[in-house]
Amino acid sequence: MSTKVIPPEAIPDQGGYTVSIEGKDYLVMNDAMFTFYRRSMGEFSDFFLALRDEKKILGCRCTSCGIVRVPPFALRCPECNFAPTEMIEVEDTGTMIATPPITYFANSLFQKQVPFGRGRILLKGADTALSINCYTTRGILVPGLIQRGTEMKVVFQDERIGEITDIFCVPAAELTAEQIAKKGLLSSELDWERAVEPQLPESTAENRAGFEKNLYLLESLVAEMNECARARADIAGWSRVILVKSAGGNFIMEIAGEQLKIKPEFAAEPDFIIVCPDLEVLLDGLGYRGSLTQAIMKRDLWISKNSEFTTIFKLERMARSLARSKKE
Amino acid sequence: MSKRVGIVGAAVTPFKARWYEKTYYELAQMAAAEAMADAALEPGDVDAAFFAIYNDIFQRTCIPEHPLQGIIGLQNKFGLRVSNGGATGAYAMSAAHAYLAAGRFKTALVLGVEKATDCFDFMSMSATPEVIKTIGWSGDSFYEQKLGWTAADSYAEVVLAYMDEHPNDLKPEITARISALLSEQVRTNNYAQRQFDQVTPEEVLNSRTVVYPFKELEICVYTEGAAALVLAEEETARAISRRTGQPVVWITGVGEANEHSFAGKNHKIIGRIISHHLAAHRAYEMAGISNPLKAIDVVEVHDAFVHQLEITMAEMGFVPHGRADSLIEDGLILPGGEFLLNPCGGLIYSGHAVGASNIMSAWSARNELIRRKLKTGLVHGTGSTVAQYGAVLILECD
Repeated sequence: MSTKVIPPEAIPDQGGYTVSIEGKDYLVMNDAMFTFYRRSMGEFSDFFLALRDEKKILGCRCTSCGIVRVPPFALRCPECNFAPTEMIEVEDTGTMIATPPITYFANSLFQKQVPFGRGRILLKGADTALSINCYTTRGILVPGLIQRGTEMKVVFQDERIGEITDIFCVPAAELTAEQIAKKGLLSSELDWERAVEPQLPESTAENRAGFEKNLYLLESLVAEMNECARARADIAGWSRVILVKSAGGNFIMEIAGEQLKIKPEFAAEPDFIIVCPDLEVLLDGLGYRGSLTQAIMKRDLWISKNSEFTTIFKLERMARSLARSKKE
Repeated sequence: MSKRVGIVGAAVTPFKARWYEKTYYELAQMAAAEAMADAALEPGDVDAAFFAIYNDIFQRTCIPEHPLQGIIGLQNKFGLRVSNGGATGAYAMSAAHAYLAAGRFKTALVLGVEKATDCFDFMSMSATPEVIKTIGWSGDSFYEQKLGWTAADSYAEVVLAYMDEHPNDLKPEITARISALLSEQVRTNNYAQRQFDQVTPEEVLNSRTVVYPFKELEICVYTEGAAALVLAEEETARAISRRTGQPVVWITGVGEANEHSFAGKNHKIIGRIISHHLAAHRAYEMAGISNPLKAIDVVEVHDAFVHQLEITMAEMGFVPHGRADSLIEDGLILPGGEFLLNPCGGLIYSGHAVGASNIMSAWSARNELIRRKLKTGLVHGTGSTVAQYGAVLILECD
């Protein structure tokens, strides 16, 4: 099936609604600005065709000063009074020129890809750095895995369409010597660690008692959140069934109708699973004494679908909204 | 010889997360009308309009300034829109200054407006991811947009590269203290989006990571609002000042620089913000300032991110590179310190109505100079990918 340039689920229905403020109604309309393109890649066509068809990375070398720009964004050298350049192939290994940022809260088109890194790799044979997505094959990307100077290998998507996303890079240390040496290494040739649900410690009387205590506190906190208009607004229009597993027991957190509810575990398929060996971590996150995102980064909390960071952010926003409202 | 140019009127609308009650037309009119009233002028007295609007998509139209020309009463007069990323407002002030200094006009209105949160993401049923996407269209369209480029991750690139060079600077406890300090300072800004959102350093440290290394409470918030200034050349400015009883705040220095957007040899130095360094030092030279730390009393720096604020202060010469934490550690910006930094609460607490933001900063700096009887202020704007754009204005109170 072909992939649409706009995700169908991003497109709203025609229509609108009214918002009442101090007794006056204001009309709010669903709307979009949209323009479709058949956009020429022009002078960049060689670069993108080489990615797509030959699994090669091209740069342009100035015929006067010799600087090699990757990507080949200026085909005449502005440093040499616009001297011509020539297209050359550069290697598909290099180093990060700086520690890359990691996006946990992405723009609406990238919510399902988080967390991802984007940094600049200086490929062997190049003088300028290529902006590129950085991933790890070993689970969730956290700070420290990829840093300035980390040796990286460019990997090609199996299905390429002639976009910059046809390539990404992973730390060379995660690959075999053969993989590093191979030109045009494909994503399917990597050993991607699969998301494996962490094992919980064995249930004991002690952690069952801790669970009961923290569950009680959680229920109280959730009741406060449901009383708080600002916190309720954070989950407006959102619904999720979340199975929470912890050392002392399991339960369901349900988001529906601007309410967050704690329920006993039931048979229905959850939208996703949170594994939280110590329930206090979840309690601290929702109580604004810690952060659920940070807990995931530290592996104190595990979620079964990274795309559900969206829900985690909504829960964190509720925590902050309640904390703000309590201060006022 | 160029003419002296001064600020003779200023106004802002409330900065709010959402203005259901107003479109950008009326927000712009509100700020324009109040700025003219502050200068005791009417539309007929104003020669030219400089519109500061960053993003067409936020306003949901191309040429978003065209309806404003008549709405603010300046039909049949000069109108120029400036759009320079986050530095839009600072560049618009710079442009207006240049026209007045050249003698083209006697008076000009600089009007910034942005309506950011009409954008809405129907997948997450929230506005912010769509606001970020809208700004995401500002990344390089061939090589970066499809990688998930955002303003935050592009500024984080610069910050992390700086931290690679200076691992003992920009310490989390210091960035948290700066954010908490700004949250205290915003209390006196009646127009701020988060006037009563005071936070502790611990809350900043506990806030979620949005884009590593930035935490939620270290990032400016998107806002809807407008801000306006009335500028005048010297003779007109002095006449207005006599009528209003308010001193003229002169623009004595202006500097700008835009860096390369690609990084590497002979290109952008990723761990520096050379644009801010050059813009500030060009403005200092024009204003005759040799030591900014001694000469400047109030700084309104564009704080897109606390970490960037710290680097910018180093680039502008207030603290050494690698020792930006001395802003707090040496008490430079603490109460009773060397200078006031973002007394309005900065964009992190006042809000970032992009085209209007730097103009709001100038409004705040002018207020502080007049109210506290201070001599010299600095207003700064940053924008584009990897903090590529920088613009700085030096203000001096009569």
